[in-house]
Amino acid sequence: MPPLDAAAPAVEVRGLVREFKGGIRAVDGLDLEVRGGEIYGFLGPNGAGKTTLVRILTTLLRPTSGSARVAGYDVVTDADRVRRSIGVALQEAAIDPLMTGRELLRMQGALHALRGSEAKRRASELLDRVGLTTAGDRRVGGYSGGMRRRLDLALALVHRPDVLFLDEPTTGLDPTSRAALWREVRSLNDEGTTVFLTTQYLEEAEQLADRVGIIAGGRLEAEGTPDVLKARVGEPMLIVTVDDPADADAAREALRELGRVEPCAPGGTPERVVVRTVRGKEAIPPAIRALDERGVAVASVEVESPTLDDVFAAVTGSRLEGAAEPESAAA
Amino acid sequence: MSLEPRVIAALGRRALSVQFRRAQLLMPTFVLPLMLLAVIASGTSSAQDLEGFPAVGSYLSFVLPGTIIQGALLAGLTSGIALASDIESGFFDRLLAAPVRRVSLVLGRLAGTLGLSVLQTAFFLLVALPFGARYPGGVAGLAGTVVLAAVTAVGIGGIAAAIALRTGSLSLMQSIFPFVFVLLFTAPAFFPRELLTPVLADLAVFNPLTYVVEASRGLLAGDAELGSPIAGLGASLGLAIATTALAVFALAERLRTT
Repeated sequence: MPPLDAAAPAVEVRGLVREFKGGIRAVDGLDLEVRGGEIYGFLGPNGAGKTTLVRILTTLLRPTSGSARVAGYDVVTDADRVRRSIGVALQEAAIDPLMTGRELLRMQGALHALRGSEAKRRASELLDRVGLTTAGDRRVGGYSGGMRRRLDLALALVHRPDVLFLDEPTTGLDPTSRAALWREVRSLNDEGTTVFLTTQYLEEAEQLADRVGIIAGGRLEAEGTPDVLKARVGEPMLIVTVDDPADADAAREALRELGRVEPCAPGGTPERVVVRTVRGKEAIPPAIRALDERGVAVASVEVESPTLDDVFAAVTGSRLEGAAEPESAAA
Repeated sequence: MSLEPRVIAALGRRALSVQFRRAQLLMPTFVLPLMLLAVIASGTSSAQDLEGFPAVGSYLSFVLPGTIIQGALLAGLTSGIALASDIESGFFDRLLAAPVRRVSLVLGRLAGTLGLSVLQTAFFLLVALPFGARYPGGVAGLAGTVVLAAVTAVGIGGIAAAIALRTGSLSLMQSIFPFVFVLLFTAPAFFPRELLTPVLADLAVFNPLTYVVEASRGLLAGDAELGSPIAGLGASLGLAIATTALAVFALAERLRTT
């Protein structure tokens, strides 16, 4: 199948609602659009509605109301065409531990109408691609978490899908396996595959996604490129700690040209001077020069940029579990 | 509606190969029926001296169809257990996300059950040979018995699949295991219908396994007096068609309500 037209939406969701028993709305009036050829990161904590949305988009769950189209096809009325266009790697790779990687790939090939010899060839190709050639004839029960995830990704690619859905693909993986999977996702995207990725890891969204959607309580709370979202929260902070608190006012005066100097908060740390500056890390050298010219002795200078977690906190009022510390550069 | 033979074959192959890699499913399907056969053949053989017991060359050959049908019941049940396990683990979602007809998912599973029953029945027939079982019905009788058992296994597999699809519960599937024996013992599996108590004999009329087990007995002995092959085939086919339809309906309901 040829890659989707970049101008056409690969995923188009309008007013989507999914209600479960007891009136619980896992997805509550969601609108979103994923362009062909992009990596869209869907970020949210457990229970935010990410998996429910993925299950609807992959035809495994019916929406209560609203509409969703994937690769141009309606997920309810044209489910079979949607299934032909998508690859799916669901949360916690559900792979039969009693089968070998190669057997699973060949079975998946048959499910996607590949002939025996074609399925066999494709299985070998994909095992090679995800680095499982040696392990391909071993039962999956003996695979590590990272190997299972890579096999799951290979299974999703058997029929060369236009749109790839990855539901929390690196949850529980060690950093090396996570980085390997990210490389593979980027490479697939470079080849033209649209990727819809759910994650609860800020770093994953930041590293991989062209655009990020933040979901909480079943609603899309914010959407944009990571940089745009972070800029919405505020400018980076240049934080100068002076040796002598008596020099703090002189430091504030010296740094005024670099940006907006924050007043010292009552009860705050008197030796700490904070300047909001769009220049971010680039503000460090001129700051040091300006302080030096005024004879202000400095203990440290650092820059803190807003993170996606700050964005998340700003739009949802809570922080993601295990979120990283603010990104900082220090001198 | 066209079938998808490649998909059904791939799913059937997978169901069968996984069955042989799962010891907890092999035990009830291959070992348990033989253990029961050993107990019955050695412990109740004097039953053939009872008045009304048909004249048979070998008591073992008479009770063997009961074992074969017990095997078919267990093959069908384990098929439902494996399906429930796929549902619980999420593997079934992988199949649902593929562009295949939903009916193929049911037929693929039952194709595995059919294959398992063929192997199982051949195994029982072979194992019984050195212990004195004889098959005067010849190759045709043996082949007919294998077919009857396989179709019956599909029939039981259909019920089990329907329950698995409706409940999605592995523990529930495991808990219905004892009901297999209720079905088995309300059919003349190890005794002729004439020697059952009046209540059991009345119940046996409504149990399709009655006709299957009697037909197998007739086929193996080459004696239609012991059971009509046509009645057996009708009962097993009817069961298989009805329960497969039930399983397909259960899957449609599952998809509609999720």
